[in-house]
Amino acid sequence: MITYNYIAAFFLIALGFYTIITKYNLIKTVIGLSIADYGVNLLIISIGYNPGGTAPIFTQGELTTASYFVDPIPQALTLTSIVIGACVTAMSLSLVVKLHDEYGTIDTREIRRLRG
Amino acid sequence: MSFLSYQHFPIYSVMALFLGAFLVVLFGRSKFLRGLIAFCATAIALCCMILLIKPVMLNHEIICYWMGSRAMAGGYAIGIAMEVDQVSLFFGLLIATAVFVACVYSLQYMDHDDNIPEYYTLFLMLAGGVMGLVLSGDLFNMFIMVEILTFAAVALTAFRNKAFGALEAAFKYLVVGCMGSTAILAGTIMLYAQAHTLNFAQLSDLIPGNMNTSTIVAFALLYIGFSTKAFIVPFHPLAADAHGAAPASISVLISGVLTKSGVYAILRLTYFLFQTMQLGSIQFIGSVSMFVCVTMALAQHDFKRLLAFHSISQIGYVMTAIGLGTGLGISAGLYHAMNHTMFKGLLFLAAGAVHYRTGITDLRKLGGLGKKMPWTCVLFLIGAASISGIPPFNGFASKWLIYQATYLKAVESGNIGFLAATVVALITSVLTLASFVKVTQSVFFGQLRPEHEDVKEVPAGMIIAMCLFAAICVVTGLFPNLVTDYLTGPAANAALNPQNYISSMLTGEGVFKTYEVFAASGVWSPVNWLLLLMIALLGVTIVAVLGKYDQVSESKKGELVDSKFALFFGGEQTQYSQVGGEDLFWGLKHNWRHYFSFMHELHSGVVNDYALWAVVALALAMVFLQIAL
Repeated sequence: MITYNYIAAFFLIALGFYTIITKYNLIKTVIGLSIADYGVNLLIISIGYNPGGTAPIFTQGELTTASYFVDPIPQALTLTSIVIGACVTAMSLSLVVKLHDEYGTIDTREIRRLRG
Repeated sequence: MSFLSYQHFPIYSVMALFLGAFLVVLFGRSKFLRGLIAFCATAIALCCMILLIKPVMLNHEIICYWMGSRAMAGGYAIGIAMEVDQVSLFFGLLIATAVFVACVYSLQYMDHDDNIPEYYTLFLMLAGGVMGLVLSGDLFNMFIMVEILTFAAVALTAFRNKAFGALEAAFKYLVVGCMGSTAILAGTIMLYAQAHTLNFAQLSDLIPGNMNTSTIVAFALLYIGFSTKAFIVPFHPLAADAHGAAPASISVLISGVLTKSGVYAILRLTYFLFQTMQLGSIQFIGSVSMFVCVTMALAQHDFKRLLAFHSISQIGYVMTAIGLGTGLGISAGLYHAMNHTMFKGLLFLAAGAVHYRTGITDLRKLGGLGKKMPWTCVLFLIGAASISGIPPFNGFASKWLIYQATYLKAVESGNIGFLAATVVALITSVLTLASFVKVTQSVFFGQLRPEHEDVKEVPAGMIIAMCLFAAICVVTGLFPNLVTDYLTGPAANAALNPQNYISSMLTGEGVFKTYEVFAASGVWSPVNWLLLLMIALLGVTIVAVLGKYDQVSESKKGELVDSKFALFFGGEQTQYSQVGGEDLFWGLKHNWRHYFSFMHELHSGVVNDYALWAVVALALAMVFLQIAL
């Protein structure tokens, strides 16, 4: 059932945001960002789903109801989104490493020199 | 179609910037080559935008450009399109100008740093991302560009990673910025699920009038996502952190270019995609941003952090005016957006010049630099006069239009809320002036610090860049009618007639309605004001030269000069008993101490709090829009 996919997608997004808000460990913040991203990916791929659809490969001369396939655009979007998600993770983890070098901690409550 | 036909110019300007970014990686080892590549890329982008003024602004054409000539098929826009109407071109011009000037400035400004090829790569990626965003006619492309510019901005914020707080600022911006990007992507795909297209014009054709719960949630997600790019309340702390740590030329891009991309996207969403400008909520958020950020700026000690809060305060003006939904309001908002890019760029460049020579941005450790850096001082004063809205500079012209627009809207609709916006705008303007009096006194006047005795003026390249911004500030202030007639007027007309945008994309022909002119009412002659200003300056100079130019002489420095200052200093005998910039608004700060300490506690600097604000804003936006629509 595709409805479960939607529920799971929004649950993942909410879980990701919850992790970012409540966890004081920078690594967990990064994990939260990733979870929210996976939630969106699941949402995208579910939207392109057609019940009983096949892979979106168009071959010349056999365009019949049997060649009814899933929407290819969301799949392309998901690929892009996955790549961007990987970049987010890589970049934020590299910043965490640098922050640990400079502050000696990865607790968000202690990394707050800029405030007010 | 020949390759030099103006239809190609939008893609050329985006391509030039991205291609430049890759070429800098290849040839960046040579100082001359990397400077040349960056200069050429930004100059080409600027030229393309300027050449488009004639067909788009004057002849009211809308350029639809399909990548790979994959035009509409069977009523569905499958290909990727660029659509340049007057609104896009207006923002494109702003961006190209700011990027060009920032590039000229960085040629000499970045001398002290290493890894300069990487700097130019990220610089051009950021510029190309914003340029692509405003010229794109496709919602998913906008998301890609948002990601590119967010990444480039984060990397550039952390570029001077030994600078105070640079890494911290970058991480906070990355977390909240990526939450915004996630929201944008979720909103985009929810619209796709409803309309099965990503083309902006086709979405604008299908969505308004067919709003359901899903599209409203999508609107809230997109709105909050783009708010994180415009840094309006509640995302203003991120801007302050990022500006404070980034190099000055990047601060110009973040304040003048990146925030404009958010403003542009919100304008597109409210006037084109959802056509919900009657809500007035954007005007409310604009007013709140305006006031909160100017009061935050009053309490700052760091030069660039202070400027950053002012920047968001000015974006508040823009959002207030755009949120009105009237032609005069949009025209005023866009005019102010343009002026904001120019004067804020000038101020950030001046702050960068001070940092370049002294290495300090703390206002309490600066002073008396006016004599050592006369050019920077004069140019900074032009910028400060512009942002404070002193005639005849450009800030006055646009603020005047904003007051008129809000007041007229209040009269027309009978809603007291719009009148409150006028009052808030006036108060904010006064507080802005107060804040810049403090900055000018702290940095350029007052006592010169002993350690800054041998400070010199900055190199010519940096002064030229600042002069470019200053010249635009003066010219757009002196000829407001030219701006409203040829730049903001067409854009306001385009925003009020979204049908034109939609049908030029879908059918190839626009629907031309009667063209309206939005200009300020009342007699207003900027040239006379310029003369008056010159006479006043001449008078001040004569008085200063003839009269005894009162300075604390060397022999008196050791003792308390006069006991009449005891009132201000509590009888303390200080070595320098002059009134410093920090002391100017002591009374105001004392009276508002509860407010300031409350705000200080609120902006705790913990990234979890800022993420919480983002989620709360998202939830509020969803609830409000569900009720209101």
